[in-house]
Amino acid sequence: MITAGLIERGLNHLLRQAPGAAEALARHAGAAVRFDLVLARFDFRIAEDGCFSEAPIETPDAVIRPTPALIVRLPFAGREALRDADYSGDPALLSTLDRVFRQLDWDLEADLAPWVGDAAAHRLHAFGRDALAGIGQAVSTFGHTASEYLVEETELMARAVDVARFNRAVDDLADDAARMEARLRRLEALAA
Amino acid sequence: MDKTTHFGYKQVAESEKAAKVADVFHSVATKYDLMNDLMSGGLHRLWKRFAVAQAGLRPGMKVLDVAGGTADLTRLFLKEVGDAGTVFLTDINFSMLREGRDRMLNEGQTPPAVQCDGERLPFPDDHFDCVSVAFGLRNMTHKDQALTEMHRVLRPGGRLLVLEFSRVWKPLAPAYDLYSFKLLPLMGKLVANDPGSYQYLAESIRMHPGQEELKAMMEAAGFAKVSYHNLTAGVVALHKGFKV
Repeated sequence: MITAGLIERGLNHLLRQAPGAAEALARHAGAAVRFDLVLARFDFRIAEDGCFSEAPIETPDAVIRPTPALIVRLPFAGREALRDADYSGDPALLSTLDRVFRQLDWDLEADLAPWVGDAAAHRLHAFGRDALAGIGQAVSTFGHTASEYLVEETELMARAVDVARFNRAVDDLADDAARMEARLRRLEALAA
Repeated sequence: MDKTTHFGYKQVAESEKAAKVADVFHSVATKYDLMNDLMSGGLHRLWKRFAVAQAGLRPGMKVLDVAGGTADLTRLFLKEVGDAGTVFLTDINFSMLREGRDRMLNEGQTPPAVQCDGERLPFPDDHFDCVSVAFGLRNMTHKDQALTEMHRVLRPGGRLLVLEFSRVWKPLAPAYDLYSFKLLPLMGKLVANDPGSYQYLAESIRMHPGQEELKAMMEAAGFAKVSYHNLTAGVVALHKGFKV
């Protein structure tokens, strides 16, 4: 219940923030859309005003299913990854949904403004955007460094087992040298 | 012979229940909001906000708040539907309705307030986008008839929200019983000088159908895709159903 309610509320909020998006969907008023997320299905009907309205549906006009490719690409490619979803149903409705989904963009600054004021909302949004960009940059740099380390530097660095073997060889050499010194001392004593 | 029904743990004639419930709410109306805050530790505000978030309302929609009393939900609904929408505040009890209406007027809002019985709603068929009943169904004599009426006034695709006390999670039941039957009447006595009404509250909660029973009742009344969500370990449950 909660998830369907949140999806409905979230989608409608984004639709209202995107000029023309709800109007585009309103041309398909009455059509039924199913988001089939493997573990759960969420059914919506497009209302007269172009918003999504949770509804019991027998036969959907359009079904949208996520694919493994979408899930892998989503964190990196964002909305572009939505193209990897599996779409089936009425082509005209799917075409509109595709266009509308690519148009959706969360205007966080507009949502924050009534709570904290315009100036603070702008700064918070900028801070959040910079922080996210910084985190993205850090993750990207870490990935590059890690891959470079794995590909290039691991071959130049001694492994733990090699270091242990070398230490053992040094110990053996030290023992041999000590034995030889003892033997030399004994021979020198005999010669004297 | 008149059929009987429960009034808390007592059995009373069906024709008497409405009057007895009315007496309870006439008695508590002026202290209702204060007692709600005290009894629930303010949680009732979160439960109501959750219910409104699940209503899927948009500007211009028509909403019916059955047994709306002091207008807690009506106020939240009005924010969602905006000036283009309409929210009807209704209650069978005049004292409660007057509290809600006056509160709305003090806030500069004038939604229509209608004194009516939830079992015989004075509204046309297929009229509302959303009907809600919060902490009211429990007090109705014929719950099945009330649900059928709510189904009738909803337009196809519209949804019913029932926010009501329910069956608490079993391990918490002893503590909840202690709170309900010892502390609640004491608080009722100290704050509202009316321990009897709060004893009735505790008893009526126990007599109200549990989560699955209410779901079955809603399905029997014609609602589709009925689901519920427990709040605060089942102290309260929100049931949602759709008219198809």
